[in-house]
Amino acid sequence: MAAASDKLAALRRQLAERFPTVPRTMGRLLPTGIASLDDATGGLPLSALTEIVCTAPSCGSHLLLGQLLTATRATRTRVALIDSTDSFDPASFTEDLLAHLVWVRCASTTAALSATDLLARDANLGLVFLDLRRAPESDLRRTPATQWYRLQRAVEPSDLALVVATPRPSVPSAQLRLQLSNPHEATALDRERLILTTELTPVLQRQRVQAAAG
Amino acid sequence: MFAVLHIADFALHAVLRTEPEAALKPAALFANHHKKSLLLAANPAARACGIQLGMTAPQAVARCPTLLIRAPNADADAEARAALLAVAFTLSPAIEDTSPGICTADLKGSRTAPQPLAATAIAQLDALGLPATAGIGRTPLLALYAARAAADRHTVYLTRQPPQSGHPLAFPTIPQSELNLTPGLAEAPIPYRSGLPESHRVFAITGEKAFLAPLPLVAADPPPELAAILTTWGLRTLGDLTSLPRDEIVRRFGTVGLMLWNRASGGEPRPLHLVVPGQHFTATMPFEQEVETLEPLLFILRRLLDRLTLELCAAQLVAAEIELTLQLADDNRLTRSFRLPEPTADTEILFRTLHTHLESLQTAEAITALELRLTPTRPLVRQHGLFDTGLRDPHGFAETLARVAALVNADRVGTPQRDDTHRPDAFKLVTPTAVVPPPAEPPLHPPVGLPLRRFRPPLRATLEFSPTEKKPSYVHTDRFEGVIATIRGPWRSSGDWWQTDRAWARLEWDIALTEGGLYRLIQIDEAFYIEGEYD
Repeated sequence: MAAASDKLAALRRQLAERFPTVPRTMGRLLPTGIASLDDATGGLPLSALTEIVCTAPSCGSHLLLGQLLTATRATRTRVALIDSTDSFDPASFTEDLLAHLVWVRCASTTAALSATDLLARDANLGLVFLDLRRAPESDLRRTPATQWYRLQRAVEPSDLALVVATPRPSVPSAQLRLQLSNPHEATALDRERLILTTELTPVLQRQRVQAAAG
Repeated sequence: MFAVLHIADFALHAVLRTEPEAALKPAALFANHHKKSLLLAANPAARACGIQLGMTAPQAVARCPTLLIRAPNADADAEARAALLAVAFTLSPAIEDTSPGICTADLKGSRTAPQPLAATAIAQLDALGLPATAGIGRTPLLALYAARAAADRHTVYLTRQPPQSGHPLAFPTIPQSELNLTPGLAEAPIPYRSGLPESHRVFAITGEKAFLAPLPLVAADPPPELAAILTTWGLRTLGDLTSLPRDEIVRRFGTVGLMLWNRASGGEPRPLHLVVPGQHFTATMPFEQEVETLEPLLFILRRLLDRLTLELCAAQLVAAEIELTLQLADDNRLTRSFRLPEPTADTEILFRTLHTHLESLQTAEAITALELRLTPTRPLVRQHGLFDTGLRDPHGFAETLARVAALVNADRVGTPQRDDTHRPDAFKLVTPTAVVPPPAEPPLHPPVGLPLRRFRPPLRATLEFSPTEKKPSYVHTDRFEGVIATIRGPWRSSGDWWQTDRAWARLEWDIALTEGGLYRLIQIDEAFYIEGEYD
């Protein structure tokens, strides 16, 4: 067993020497402004995928999106929202929060994934949010794992955070997986959104440590 | 000092450069498409098959069954001529369109050595599909002789055949040593197109007399009668002619003889008929055969763009907008303008912009012609601010958006802007700005509640009412159903009542289901819908 692992390590070393990759700065993060999330993870990892699993209705995925828009607006970072079911409501946000947003209104999951593949390679974006929260279950099931690894490879050389909102864990290449599972009460409709945001408590399900390149 | 750019068999290459891969195959230019039309020009690959000038098409095809037969094309000629002039402007601002395939540049005042300059021009012409040679000499005529000598050297290299005797451009008496081939180069295999390196296709005259002496008389274009007389005298070369006293030649042949003697001695420097650079950057290319696929269209587009960007660079301008017009077989025209995110003269960027558009374009009919127009502007010179958050790669961003637009339609990509109305879900998508503006002050009244996640179109809902409280107690839709735990409302809203076709009115409720989930319920006329989920 030990011999096998030694061989594997030697093989990895040889591959790293022969195909050196661009060195990556470790630990680059995009702070979200949500205390519970930033305390636990430091923020959303850049050059990696983050999956937000929304298992319950009204669990606050758009509230989280609104907070990400606020955080990126402060730094004037450009954001792309790929909306697989055309469910984003611009009227729910202030005009100023939309100034740095590129909204892609897709008609299918396939189109949304293709658009994400293009946008994830653009050097001008700092955050790409793929909303598959209402994507049909069959579409998610049919999406091959290679598609997610392809997206991972697409963002690795870039400086952007790719966030995917899904109804169930679906992204095998996600470096960080958070779960929102608590539906909001009716009283949430009367409370200030800022307070609701601070009360968001995404549950950390997975946090992979990024392997050192080279 | 003058330089001449010379494209041998210009009309043939002008046609071949409009067809992908055609220049790699044996090809010949005939006067027309008739069976008995005579061969006017042949490329080195055809000449290597034994095809000679003056053959008829059947004779030529008998020697080379794969021969491409082409006829002169005025549009292709004009385009190739424009390309030659565009490259010549990189040599000097003072250029002359001497004749088809020949362009003379006055190098007076140039601080760069002429040979590397000419070699670069040849490389540019190669990229444009025009194999050229260059000559450098004290007079325009000497430079032309030198360019033709370089052309012969190139032909010898490509075909390993001496130039055909009797051809007006032939220089059969140039010794092999004059060809100045690099040792080993002549023995190398001959892939056509690769040809001689650019530096070997530039001929700079150092010793005029030694260069002119072995040239045949035909090089000086003597009138036929005079040529016949001189031949009977035993004069074969320019050196033979110039060794005779000039006055004796004038006494016997008059002005015609004097002009020939002057040409044989290399002529004198003369003012050029200068070409004025164009102010309109347009290119048109009608297709001999209708185009139905993308590749030939892209090939031509690339050729046109290469030429137009060279002209832009020569004029020190950049393109702010591209207008592409496609002429269809049914006489309809498709025109599309592309405003560039940042003015540029980079061929790659301009080409990618058009490529992205054409990839998703479908036309009802085949394409018969295309027209390209670049709107010039002065290059943008600016220094980015320390805290500027403009686009890192404006062209890349525009291209990404164009690709996404091709995927989901152009009207479904952009930055959302709310319309100035209370009408629900009223917004428009605009092109993202180049620079993200600084954040505004926080709103006076901070937003309350959860954002809405819409259903587009709204879900049709069926309600069950509690018999006691006369309130909805159960909601059923295609996607979900459940017992209503809390209901708040109704809130009435309406607008545009003064416009019969746009008037709207509705009632809204917020409902919470016992199993979780906050939704907006609306009533329009008598029907109920779920407009969205608070999320």
